[in-house]
Amino acid sequence: MKEPWYSRAGIEALVVLTALLFVAPVVLIYVTSLKPEAEIVKFESVWPKDAREGIRKNYEYVLKTPEEIPIFRWLGNSILVSSSVTLLVLTVDSLAAYALARLRLPGKKYVFAMIIGTLMVPGQILLVPVYLILNKLGWIDTPWALIVPHGAGAFGVFLLHQFFKAIPKELEEAAMLDGAGKLRIWWNLMLPLSKPALATLAIFTFVGSWNDFLGPLVFLDSVEKYTLPVGVALFQSSYSSEYGLTLAASVICTTPILLIFLVFSRQIIRGMAMSGLKE
Amino acid sequence: MRGVVTFLIVVGTLIAGGCDRAEVLGEKTTIRFWNGFTGPDGRTMLGLVKTFNDENPDLNVIMQRMEWGTYYNKLFVAGLGGRAPEIFVSHSYALPRFMGAGFVREVDDLLGTGPGQLDPADFDANVLANLQRHGRHWGIPLDVHPLGLFYNKKLFREAGIVDAKGEAKPPTNREEFVTALRKLTDAKKKQWGFVWTWQRTNSYTIIRQFGGELFDPQGVRPTMGAPENAEALTWCRGLIKEGLVPAPQDFNSWIGFRQGRVGMVFEGIYMLPELERQKDLDWGAAPVPVVGKQQSAWGESHSLVLRKDVKGKKLEGAKRLIKFLSDHSVEWAMGGQVPVRKSLRASEKFKSLYAQSQFAREIPYIAYYPKNPYIFEFLTEFDLAVELTLRGTLPADEALGRGQQNMERVVERYQAQGWDLGEAR
Amino acid sequence: MRRDRDWTGYGFLLPYLMLFGMFLVLPMVFGLGLSFFRYEMLSKEPAKFVGLENYREALWLPHADGTRGDAYFRQALWATVRFVVLAAPLTVTFALLLALGISMAPERRQNIYRLMVFVPTMITISVVGILWRWFFADQFGLFNIWLTRLHLREVHWLTDVNMAMKSLVLMTLWWTVGGPVVVLLAGIKQIPDAYYEAAAIDGATGWRRCWYITLPMLKPVLLFVIVLNVIGAWQVFGQPFIITSGGPERSTLVLMQYIYVTSFLNYRLGYGAAMSWLLFLLIAAFSLVQFRLMREK
Repeated sequence: MKEPWYSRAGIEALVVLTALLFVAPVVLIYVTSLKPEAEIVKFESVWPKDAREGIRKNYEYVLKTPEEIPIFRWLGNSILVSSSVTLLVLTVDSLAAYALARLRLPGKKYVFAMIIGTLMVPGQILLVPVYLILNKLGWIDTPWALIVPHGAGAFGVFLLHQFFKAIPKELEEAAMLDGAGKLRIWWNLMLPLSKPALATLAIFTFVGSWNDFLGPLVFLDSVEKYTLPVGVALFQSSYSSEYGLTLAASVICTTPILLIFLVFSRQIIRGMAMSGLKE
Repeated sequence: MRGVVTFLIVVGTLIAGGCDRAEVLGEKTTIRFWNGFTGPDGRTMLGLVKTFNDENPDLNVIMQRMEWGTYYNKLFVAGLGGRAPEIFVSHSYALPRFMGAGFVREVDDLLGTGPGQLDPADFDANVLANLQRHGRHWGIPLDVHPLGLFYNKKLFREAGIVDAKGEAKPPTNREEFVTALRKLTDAKKKQWGFVWTWQRTNSYTIIRQFGGELFDPQGVRPTMGAPENAEALTWCRGLIKEGLVPAPQDFNSWIGFRQGRVGMVFEGIYMLPELERQKDLDWGAAPVPVVGKQQSAWGESHSLVLRKDVKGKKLEGAKRLIKFLSDHSVEWAMGGQVPVRKSLRASEKFKSLYAQSQFAREIPYIAYYPKNPYIFEFLTEFDLAVELTLRGTLPADEALGRGQQNMERVVERYQAQGWDLGEAR
Repeated sequence: MRRDRDWTGYGFLLPYLMLFGMFLVLPMVFGLGLSFFRYEMLSKEPAKFVGLENYREALWLPHADGTRGDAYFRQALWATVRFVVLAAPLTVTFALLLALGISMAPERRQNIYRLMVFVPTMITISVVGILWRWFFADQFGLFNIWLTRLHLREVHWLTDVNMAMKSLVLMTLWWTVGGPVVVLLAGIKQIPDAYYEAAAIDGATGWRRCWYITLPMLKPVLLFVIVLNVIGAWQVFGQPFIITSGGPERSTLVLMQYIYVTSFLNYRLGYGAAMSWLLFLLIAAFSLVQFRLMREK
């Protein structure tokens, strides 16, 4: 907070420029989705000639043909699945990460190494066996197939473990001296302190689940049960793409998570000043 | 934060679960029908299935579709779990694999002249024979989608390539083709006479036109190193070296055609919906010119295939669906296919379909891929050899020679495992 | 008292371990076992135990022309190594710089910058593929159109054997840097102000503050970002598969794609599993080295 103002402004200018470069292609997607197919192919200008025609041809078609495109079902499925996965992962992983980061467990090092080790296993190996397991459980073509296996992911445990480790031990020791049990410490101390980490994990998990393609593709059979990315893929055939419809559908697919991100990120920014710790 | 998450779950459940529960099962027999028809194909097929369901109230056909690449994976994984559908679509080249696994039911009981049957004489003989093995049929062809010539009429007229009436005149042989290339290619205007779209199908066509063969007559042993194959590919590369054709780009060179900058492309009839959407393009369709010494054009067929153990009402319903779809091949063709029922092609409705009728002329000399279980491995090697040659990285005989070597190892491996390589074609 | 603390901790781990066991460990054991079998799907033959045969095929099986092992496996491995070496360091460095830069902006704007940088990550790969194939197209691509407008030479982004992988890395930067930025930013924000205030009293400003406080306190989070990024780079699949399909001339055909084609297109699950485990060993060795190095620092 003590650097000269011009160096801070300079840095911010660089950041703004970079951020704009990142966002430009996404804006392009939104803008191009407003063009009818024939115009998209011609790339004559960035802006659509007549946005209303594009909206009619692309968005109206995507939104108004539920027998072919049950987009609201897909949207609902995606919301249901992604929220459930996020909740599951946040709960299960924060409990596990706390144990691994802070509790004295016998054999902790090996358990942790094993969990991290699974991150290095190429996911494709798991596809067929997980399918067979889910089939035995009778979960194929149900949302459970998309939700429960994600609870096994090591990413969240690893992430929270690192964040928990970064929290100074003194705070925990103070709480323990006050007689708090492990569960209370976890709930009242670790979780609130690591809100940035939890919100980060929530965002990653949610977005990852939202965009997951292979899982729903393999574990679901019925078109009405599809999630958005798989549904949107139905506009592409192996030989060609219906660009207008695909772009419109992907706008519909991306905008909800954008909004959700905006909502969640306030939680992160409402930064935790360490001095303002409540008991 | 908890509140938000709970709210989301509730909303999601309501939307996902609430609206229109699947209709009461009642006495309907459910038949699952899987295919890779997405995009406009999918739309057409969905419409047909809906009509079928309306006309057959005792049946409920549920169609599941996904893009072809992932479709075959899905089918395979589903087969593992015993969840394969009763009836599915397969390209004819993929069929030997499913047959080899005992997945497929013969359909000879559907062929005949009785009620509810399909008359085999009404099918194009070569198309039907393509699905035959050991004297029995393993699928009913729904269509054939050949490679043909699409050309830009406006560019042709501007270049003066016209017939007596001043209409754009598509080339029919090598001389006319190369002449057209020279007239249409204009580097300054960034205009090309011809571009490669899908290298695989384009090259396969040209190789077959030069009399080349990639496998022995039984379709078992690879003959990639045959001289005609190298001759064909060397001629292709020659066009590029002369600057008449650009070095092959990715698949999106088709977009160049849609933009009106390319005079000619060889593409499948299934690209038709895209052309129909490009209202500002004045395009024409014709059979592929004979740039080699004989007529030949790549083609593939979608076949309707029954799962091996389907019985009873489901079997009967699935057969009805097959007959229905075959009888409605012209409606199916409107999405960019060619029917393989001679009687239906003779109908006025079909004759009014311009591009399909043009491409239908190629049916007598359709060149299918060989039938063997290692076709996927072959296509990988073929793609690579073609790519290396067209890009000028290797001379044709060397590129093909490498592919030949790799394929021989693959065939050895299959033989060692006791696969039924059978007589193909 | 100490005894009690030791084992009840596992109660915290239990829910996770149950899921972990069923959906990760069990399938992995299955997959490992599969690599010792000849299991070609869609064949009437049942799976046959062949010991190390699959590994032999990949690594040391002699051929008539004097080579050993699977040349395509080696080629795919090399393509993957090129990607890892290019993408991982660039991504992490770029993310760190961005995170630091954003953290220095006024708080009310940080949220927006972070969102802007993260937005690309939210786009699904199929749409990303459409977009960037258009950007990179030779003749009618957006980048080349601009280059020609600026009177510069066109670049063969995806059709030059030496350029294709670099283009993929560029696209990967855009698509994936947002994730690490979010994580690092969260880590930066978790550093208690008290430390900075103490440093300020001691007279440290700007870069010194960054070097002596931010980076060290960020170490666990940074380790996380680096390790995951590298692991992810080894397992890259979506970008090359969708954008170049492994071309041109298989130069971008990474190991994951080769495994995928082997397992699910050629239906050779046993061989595919063996290659997956070889990849795992590679990643594990690499990560171990990384962990050790980071410990020392």
